[in-house]
Amino acid sequence: MEFTAINSIRPLGWIRFWSLILYKTYSELRAESERTYIGYAWWGIEPILSMGVYFVVFKWILDRGTENYATFLIIGLVPWRWLSTSLQHGANAILSARSLMQQVYLPKLVLPIVSLLTDTFKFLVILVLLLVFLLFSSFPIGPYYLALPFVLAIQALLVGGLTFILAGAVPFLPDLRMVLENVVRLWLFLSGVFYPLEALPERLWIYFRMNPMLTIINSYRDILMYGRWPDFQALSVIAAGSLLLLAIGVALIHHNDYRYPKLQV
Amino acid sequence: MSALPEASSQAPQGRSMVLSLRNVGVRYGRRRHLFSQHQSEFWALRDVTLDLFSGETLGVIGRNGAGKTTLLKVLAGILRPDTGSYVNNGYRATLLSLQVGFVGYLSGRENAILSGLLLGMHRREIERKMDAIISFSGLEDFIDEPIQTYSSGMKARLGFSTAFQVDPDILLVDEVMGVGDAEFTEKSKAVMREKIRSDKTVVLVSHNTDVIRSLADRMVWIEKGGTVAQGGPDEVLEAYAQSQRRKSH
Repeated sequence: MEFTAINSIRPLGWIRFWSLILYKTYSELRAESERTYIGYAWWGIEPILSMGVYFVVFKWILDRGTENYATFLIIGLVPWRWLSTSLQHGANAILSARSLMQQVYLPKLVLPIVSLLTDTFKFLVILVLLLVFLLFSSFPIGPYYLALPFVLAIQALLVGGLTFILAGAVPFLPDLRMVLENVVRLWLFLSGVFYPLEALPERLWIYFRMNPMLTIINSYRDILMYGRWPDFQALSVIAAGSLLLLAIGVALIHHNDYRYPKLQV
Repeated sequence: MSALPEASSQAPQGRSMVLSLRNVGVRYGRRRHLFSQHQSEFWALRDVTLDLFSGETLGVIGRNGAGKTTLLKVLAGILRPDTGSYVNNGYRATLLSLQVGFVGYLSGRENAILSGLLLGMHRREIERKMDAIISFSGLEDFIDEPIQTYSSGMKARLGFSTAFQVDPDILLVDEVMGVGDAEFTEKSKAVMREKIRSDKTVVLVSHNTDVIRSLADRMVWIEKGGTVAQGGPDEVLEAYAQSQRRKSH
């Protein structure tokens, strides 16, 4: 017996889809700030503390000799945090909304979009702090800054694609969450956040360059620190690959829209 | 009472069909574990056939676990049937869910907006109805306090007052229960009954036969995931009562 539906449920419509997403994002951010005594201030302080830990370890204990190491490290860690927080939260986005999706019909895509927007907003706060910090330091501010929106957009595609795929896959395979944290940490150490590529043996470069985050992080350093244009060719390849990931992620979630409410934990 | 599973009773006079289910089945798959042989599937609905006409109140009756809640989820578009056919002529059906999406740290007003958006209202529509929500809930100035400071009765009042403002084409109700303190219970029951009796298309689930008898225009009885009978409330309830008696003997 086959299931057929004629003129099935009316879709949400774009206005309601996006007003729901925006209001839910606002409420997540709002609720998060209400949870602590100093609220919004944590969006700046917490990342500074966490980056401070890496600074202490790599600068003072391991004593890396790279010039302007603090700036080098911070420019690597800020975009890295965008990726890692988005992945950690996105992985749970659909899984943790189980009871909600039993009560109302909700396009499941709403859930990872909200989690992504929440983490993106917090990233933008840190980015502004970083830019203010750079304004008062001696690094050149030039036409290269025009490339910044492109690099941000390309990273957004990459982060979005991976977040959607994870969010869509985790309800079927919750075990993914058990390995995610370690995979992300390994990826961090392979992304040239703590050391320049040039510090590694040359025969390894070709493998490291296959890592899109290495190219993206180096692009931020080119623009913000070294006053030069990023590698647009490598960035375009990443943009194309990320678009593909994004399409896969959206298709995965959309295709399983009615299967998620039936999964039992 | 009509024979099943063919079409149900004829359309009541002057009423058009808004949706119909034919031999609908819904299957839940149990999660499998790699190291266990246990894998099972469970049919929450096996064979449900029913029609819903505009402006009527259709009562659904059946024992616990018969599939009543799953049926409402299918009608609400939360679940899609695995077998059978489902025709909805473009009407929006919403399950009356109380306190859906509530977040403790947000104010009553913000929660009303969030809940309203989830239940299918537009932002402007909610803003327009905010005064009605506040006055019906009796929360007054508390509306701008975070709801984690509310008593459970206050939360229930806000939840009901918000959900009650939702005006879908088809209203799906799982038990007409009063919520909150005694006074609000009476008030909420009264407005619900009024809404159900009005010209609204309603599907009402209950195991309370008295409630259903007083509100339903037509009835469906489901058992073990399948439709057993449908028709006028008195005939269906009589048949249901007889089977209950047989069971208990």
